[in-house]
Amino acid sequence: MEGITKAFPGVKALTDVDLTARAGEVHAIVGENGAGKSTLMKILAGVHTPDEGTITLDGEQVRFGSPLEAKQNGIGMVYQEINLVPDLSVAENIGLGNMPASGGMIRRKALHDRAREVLEELHTRIPPQELVGRLSVSQQQLVEIAKIYARQPRIVVLDEPTSSLSHHEAEALFAVVERMRNSGIAIIYISHRLREVLEISDRVTVLRDGRMIDCRSAQGLTPKEMISLMVGRDLDDVFPKQAVEIGEPVLEVRGLTRLGVFEDVSLTVRAGEIVGLAGLVGAGRTEVARAIFGLDRLDAGQILVGGEEIRVRSPRSAVRAGIAYVPEDRKRDGVALSLTVKDNIALPVLHRVSTLGWVLRRPERELAQQKAEDLHISPPVVDRPAATFSGGNQQKVVLAKWLATNPKVLILDEPTRGVDVGAKADIHTIIGELAAQGVAVLMISSELPEVLAVSDRVYVLHEGRLTAELSRDDADEESVMTAATGEGAAA
Amino acid sequence: MTSAHTLPPRVTDEKRGRKLLGGIALPVGILALLIAGSVLSEQFLTARNLTNVLINMSIVGIIVVGMTFVFIVRGLADLSVPAMVAIGALLALGLQPALGSLPAAMFGVAAASCAGLINGLLIGYARLNPVITTLATGTIVLGVAQAAVGGVIVYGDSPGLQSFLTGRLLGVPVIVLIFLAVALGGHLLLSRTTFGRWVYATGANPDATKASAVPLRFTKGAAFWMTATLSGFSGVLLGLTLQTARPGVGTGYEFDAITAVVVGGVSLLGGFGNMPRALGGLLLVTLLSNIMVLNGIATESQGLVMGALIAAAVALDVYLRRRGGAS
Repeated sequence: MEGITKAFPGVKALTDVDLTARAGEVHAIVGENGAGKSTLMKILAGVHTPDEGTITLDGEQVRFGSPLEAKQNGIGMVYQEINLVPDLSVAENIGLGNMPASGGMIRRKALHDRAREVLEELHTRIPPQELVGRLSVSQQQLVEIAKIYARQPRIVVLDEPTSSLSHHEAEALFAVVERMRNSGIAIIYISHRLREVLEISDRVTVLRDGRMIDCRSAQGLTPKEMISLMVGRDLDDVFPKQAVEIGEPVLEVRGLTRLGVFEDVSLTVRAGEIVGLAGLVGAGRTEVARAIFGLDRLDAGQILVGGEEIRVRSPRSAVRAGIAYVPEDRKRDGVALSLTVKDNIALPVLHRVSTLGWVLRRPERELAQQKAEDLHISPPVVDRPAATFSGGNQQKVVLAKWLATNPKVLILDEPTRGVDVGAKADIHTIIGELAAQGVAVLMISSELPEVLAVSDRVYVLHEGRLTAELSRDDADEESVMTAATGEGAAA
Repeated sequence: MTSAHTLPPRVTDEKRGRKLLGGIALPVGILALLIAGSVLSEQFLTARNLTNVLINMSIVGIIVVGMTFVFIVRGLADLSVPAMVAIGALLALGLQPALGSLPAAMFGVAAASCAGLINGLLIGYARLNPVITTLATGTIVLGVAQAAVGGVIVYGDSPGLQSFLTGRLLGVPVIVLIFLAVALGGHLLLSRTTFGRWVYATGANPDATKASAVPLRFTKGAAFWMTATLSGFSGVLLGLTLQTARPGVGTGYEFDAITAVVVGGVSLLGGFGNMPRALGGLLLVTLLSNIMVLNGIATESQGLVMGALIAAAVALDVYLRRRGGAS
């Protein structure tokens, strides 16, 4: 891949990126969240077409118009999520879309023989007749790889294949990767686990902000070097940070556990304080926030607001206790797009603008109008459906809705994702003002500079556990990334 | 990010399409039918025929009010309507000897209401599929009601109530007045109350609504409870007007109500529509069937026309939604 450039409206996702994968090598791609790894791989897989640049396969220039074309040209993708049919057997899954058949009937024996052959070549011990749904996640991952391998690909891309595997299970996966490499396949390996990258790969390409920063041999590279290559960027966004007097603890969370997702997470947010919750994608940040807000079930732990323990069984009880949550997935959990801005804003506070269930339209409108103006929603027309507003303004609608509840604790999950620069600055200003009014703010963001600039304190999650608590002075890109990649103990 | 940039113009399209469908198309369609009707049949534009149309509308109309809530809350449809109508009619007449006319009527509504409560709990709280659930409860309820009243056909003996319902008050048939009162109540509940807001929000985006501290399960369940109660009430009125009821008395009412709501442009996908639209749809459908009856069109052909109408209305709704990018 050469000179690949891809822009989405408002963002340049990739700028002039080169990538060469050789037959029989494992080539790792590393970078922060949003560095462009996934976009690059989606271009290779034919999901996106590049704006500029060329893809050359075995010396021949190719252009994939669809994922199917890429597949036919020997590109195999293994994504993080498992794409198998749980109610079919391993053999059927491996043969899916390519069944040996005669006269419209599937030849079961040929199907099983072929699956067994593939599984044996990869030295796995998964019985071909077993139902996929009965396998462990790691075994399913191996079946997924076997399925790709059965099509005799030239390039196999593995996107975070170990994110849900234990170390022992990951070892089994590495053995399979090694065998594929030895059979002459070019492997592109994306992972946040830097030690694992060094263990398995021959070369490493570092992406940052959509550009290729470096491509080096894995020999002699250290995790520390990789981190500094990943984060070493200039800060060109300016975040305003007000000095605010910090008060008593408002939100206290102790030993929060959701089995298999996060474990023993304890944190405190004080009045007027903005606390960042950092970590890589999949570290459990959103899950912790959802659990505090009552959207997901908890297995253990205590939540205290203003020193009193609360039981959150649903968002209703969380809101009653004074917690507000601006969700990560705006379109799913944030706004009802077909409703007007007014209806969206008033939704959690209808009891305040009604008597005995009868909505008083004047106060309802005034409340919505006031919030829309406070937050500079543009245009400030509250009677239009939320869908007619830009992403940044929709996000402000969600914020307005939660500010209308006068929360004591505000949890923000990726509050500026997919938001244009102007709206982003507005949102930062609003967050600062809220803190100044004594609201306790817990902010999750995948943009490290944003977390660092806005936060008074930063907690770092790695694979569901808190690995660091850093004061504003101690937190910098390196210290956070070190904790986020789980390199804290080694460094 | 892509969608953030492409969404606004598409939604404008959707709005325009919806305005066309609901704002203009419905009145125009009704007007066209009035003209067509008076051209095709001399009896059509008579006070007697139009009164008949209104009376025919009223029984279904009370059910339409409930079904509109079910649609907007994204509950798909309530298929237990025929059973609720039947239980209302059967009990209101069958229990007359034991309880007296008025208590029997109230018992009929209460029984349907209890069955509706089960619908509400199963759909709202246990989150079962509404179509399957209401089909099942409907079958069970009908069976129980039949067993309870014993015979196949039940006759009533309450001429007083009958003549009141079929009589007139200030020149308007009483049954029409009852329907209008229910419609007004439903309209206000939907458009002006906290509960109404919850209904729209739940249908528009259940996840965001749940995250906004709205009692989602209650809202969904209540829509089904209401529909069953209103269907039972409708059945009671039907039984009292006819003074006779058989278990099959409610057959087809679910289809008529669904047709009216869909033709009115209330979205099967939830979050969109209102009471006037649903009732406009009902008026259009009732006029259409009246014209067909007056012109002696065979029942089978009438079914064909209604079926085609409902399919076209649903297809248009889904098409507009897809264009709008909402699904």
